Amino acid sequence: MSRQQTLTELESVLESFLDRVVAVKEQRLEVLDGINRLDDIARRIDRGDELTDQIGNWFAEHNRWLSEGTLRQADTTRISRILDQIGSRLEKAEETTPAMTKIAAEIERWQRQAGGEKKIVLTRGPETAPKSDTERPGSLARFADQLQRLTARFDDLAGSSQHVLSALDDALTSAERQQNKDALILSALIIYSLKQENYKVEPYVKRLRAAERRIQGGRTDA
Amino acid sequence: MLNMSEKAYVLALRALKQHNYGEAVNHFDQAAEQFATDREFVLLRESTRLLVAVKNELAALRANDDDDAIIEEVFDGQETDISG
Repeated sequence: MSRQQTLTELESVLESFLDRVVAVKEQRLEVLDGINRLDDIARRIDRGDELTDQIGNWFAEHNRWLSEGTLRQADTTRISRILDQIGSRLEKAEETTPAMTKIAAEIERWQRQAGGEKKIVLTRGPETAPKSDTERPGSLARFADQLQRLTARFDDLAGSSQHVLSALDDALTSAERQQNKDALILSALIIYSLKQENYKVEPYVKRLRAAERRIQGGRTDA
Repeated sequence: MLNMSEKAYVLALRALKQHNYGEAVNHFDQAAEQFATDREFVLLRESTRLLVAVKNELAALRANDDDDAIIEEVFDGQETDISG
């Protein structure tokens, strides 16, 4: 077989593999893409752009998620947080247009349907906006970013767990098998919190230390 | 809000879906800060990188083939006197 034939076959195998991965993740990708778009809209509103049409389009496109049960608990939480953020930006607007009122009503309806009971009132907000992440010093922004990731990860784990110990077990497994640092830190946080409530945490501490050694490059188990 | 690594991972998957492999590699690189130790991420990133490398190599080979074909066409298999 020539070099070109070998490469062509490898190309085909890799393309097929990646196509299949994407196909398996199709529904998740659609959800993540939708959350990402909403997140983009929220960021642009932060910059002062007028985006009520885009928010309206987003609702039109994604309303079915609630009725179809497409979303995981963690997705619902994330979307609710972003919508809260958009809602609070609308509240701070100096002028309230009919489109904004409609969007606020849509947000309220979504939050109610998704399980929240938050009420959005369009009023003029304070003169100063809170500091954004970009205005914070580097270490603070990094830590805030990490906290956000940990919260999202916990939401993911909590969505499929009945008890915090199950979420801890999943987080430790992820730290052990995937050598994921965020999972390790989240595990440590949960363990510390459980210790404060007098749970017996020694077995989890052992697993945490073993995972920590793996992540730091050591390979010996406890 | 999503952090920049999460956004980049989503964009990488979208680029894969659209078969924009070079673009996917760029997004994977941006997402690496958070996901570099995530096995699934590493597998997807490395597979995509390999695919891009294979495509580049194939393009180079095909360009050589095209050059050879053009040379054969121009000279039509005849010996050519290139002396002055």
